Amino acid sequence: MTKKLFVVWAVVGLLLSLAGSTPAHEITENPNEKIDRSMAVDPQAIVTLCVASGTLKVRGWDKNEVHVRSMDAAKIEFRRIDRVKDTTTPATRVDVMVLDRTTAANPRLDCLALASVEMDVPAGATVQVQTRDGDIAITGIAAAYAGSQNGDIEIDHVTKVVEAGSLGGSIYLKDSSGRVNLSSAGGIVEVINVRPATDDDTLEVGTVSGDIQLNHVSTPKVSVKTVNGTVTMTGPLAKAGEYGFQNMSGDLVLAMPRDASFRLNAKVSEKHSIVSDFVLKYLSEAPPPPPAAKPGKPAAEGKPAKTPEAKGKVMPRTGPIVTPVVVEKPTVVTAPYVLRRVNAICGTGDASISIASFGGTVSLKKL
Amino acid sequence: MRRCLDEGKLQSYFDGELSIEMMESVTSHLASCVTCAALARELEEESALLNLAFSAEFEASVPTERLRERINEAVLGDRLATAQSTEKVGGLAGFFSGLLNFGTQRTLGFASLAVILAFAAIAGVVKMRTTTAPSLDDKASAQAGNQPKANNNQQVAQVPPVSDSTPIQQQIKTPVHELPKRFVPVRYSKPAAPASTAAANHAVKLLPGERSYLQAIARLDSTIKSNPKSMRPALQVEYQRNLAVVDRAIAATRSAAKSNPNDPDAADFMFAAYQSKVDLLNTIADARVGGGRGH
Repeated sequence: MTKKLFVVWAVVGLLLSLAGSTPAHEITENPNEKIDRSMAVDPQAIVTLCVASGTLKVRGWDKNEVHVRSMDAAKIEFRRIDRVKDTTTPATRVDVMVLDRTTAANPRLDCLALASVEMDVPAGATVQVQTRDGDIAITGIAAAYAGSQNGDIEIDHVTKVVEAGSLGGSIYLKDSSGRVNLSSAGGIVEVINVRPATDDDTLEVGTVSGDIQLNHVSTPKVSVKTVNGTVTMTGPLAKAGEYGFQNMSGDLVLAMPRDASFRLNAKVSEKHSIVSDFVLKYLSEAPPPPPAAKPGKPAAEGKPAKTPEAKGKVMPRTGPIVTPVVVEKPTVVTAPYVLRRVNAICGTGDASISIASFGGTVSLKKL
Repeated sequence: MRRCLDEGKLQSYFDGELSIEMMESVTSHLASCVTCAALARELEEESALLNLAFSAEFEASVPTERLRERINEAVLGDRLATAQSTEKVGGLAGFFSGLLNFGTQRTLGFASLAVILAFAAIAGVVKMRTTTAPSLDDKASAQAGNQPKANNNQQVAQVPPVSDSTPIQQQIKTPVHELPKRFVPVRYSKPAAPASTAAANHAVKLLPGERSYLQAIARLDSTIKSNPKSMRPALQVEYQRNLAVVDRAIAATRSAAKSNPNDPDAADFMFAAYQSKVDLLNTIADARVGGGRGH
């Protein structure tokens, strides 16, 4: 009898010790059980969410509440970081802590969970989300900051700020307003129907090898940079808009309405052309810089050396408008310089387009 | 040009000593030959690292064998020191983290161990006295097992002891994350005004303004490589692919800038290409750090 009792207690103790060595902190028994958490927040709360891997979906709604759910997570917590003494007031800054089975035992392992998460936030909220491997979808909020290494990022109906970065994934933004900054190394960036929310709003897009497409962007200040991607902008130009395009080897296509009015300032390589459907008043094409001065004989300042092409004819001066030259469509502007500068105007020159294209063809097309 | 390029030709290529035709030929070869592209990158990185570490020596004279040894020793020592400090911090942090991590599971484990010892002692006494009375211990074990679970069910809306004095606006402007404390911040924007490049020109014939970019790139590169964690394959592939694209752009724009030294636009293209590489390396360095919130 004594021996049996001893064995029973030993087994009970062993089971308890095993229970203590395995993560048991709010782990769902059923792996497919959904974890669901809510918290009252300020209408303009700042909410952050990050995981190591998994799809993140964020949706704006009309409740002053953050609602997070996941099928993969073992635990979801809200961490207030607004340092408000009265914790009964709605939070203005919240970190959403998502922990999976492997990280649940140590809450300090932040942003390392492997879990897909869906989150509803107030429509006026600012949301920062990040995942390493996984797609991100954000809709209907005030400001979105999103980062993913390999996944795609889709954002729409954001009203004030959009910043998104991906290394290998693509970025899609549509039907939004405000300041926009998008960057991707290898993925494409597509922007559709974006407008400014304030006068100071800008749209900046950058890629290394990904293509860039802008459709119906009415933001007045646009900056596009790519190393090897093709850039396509379609739609009307903002009046007094400033558009800057820089690429190293990709083509640039600007498709604009027939009545587009712009001033063109382009720096292009000799080997590639500017092809224009528009009638351009050719203002000037700067002469090439003087050739390299030989050692010990620096070039005289203010006296650029004449090139073979300059012999026998008067080169147009830079600066004030020279006699306008009307270039008929379709136009291929060629010049014998390694790098050429082309100044031209179309219509009354309302918008300003600056192009620096080292190795691509520039096409100005009519819609 | 189907045969692989030798190192001498590549060095001449980076020094801008080849003819324009040969330059273009090498550029196109690099675009299609993975082996040569890798060699070119290695050569370029070595040159950049060399310039960074021994700018003073470059001014003096042509490097001798002795100097070369010193260079190798210095570079090796620097890398070892970086690796050791990183490992040391990570190891100590992990050790103390493990020691101080008194989670509920571990507490439960210790409690269970104590219960077993108690049981063993009681059983020993019982055996000695040949009597039986275990009911109180049963209750105790049940309480030990249940109490932590009750605590586990508490959650939601904890106020953390986070000392966060950064203004909100400043914080939310960091979309991805900030670097952990143990990590040397390495974000480089466009380098400052070009330094005097007489020494650099003497050594590897750098173009004016190029040196500061190369230094920034060398630092970023060493930072990326100093991370003890191996790069994930997907990240590695994307990194190498885009790095090759940027390097080709740098080579092409550099060639143009070199053959048009008085053309500021040619230099601008080259600097833009360098800036693209700096941006890419910054992105990779951030990605290597891993996750984190922007505050």
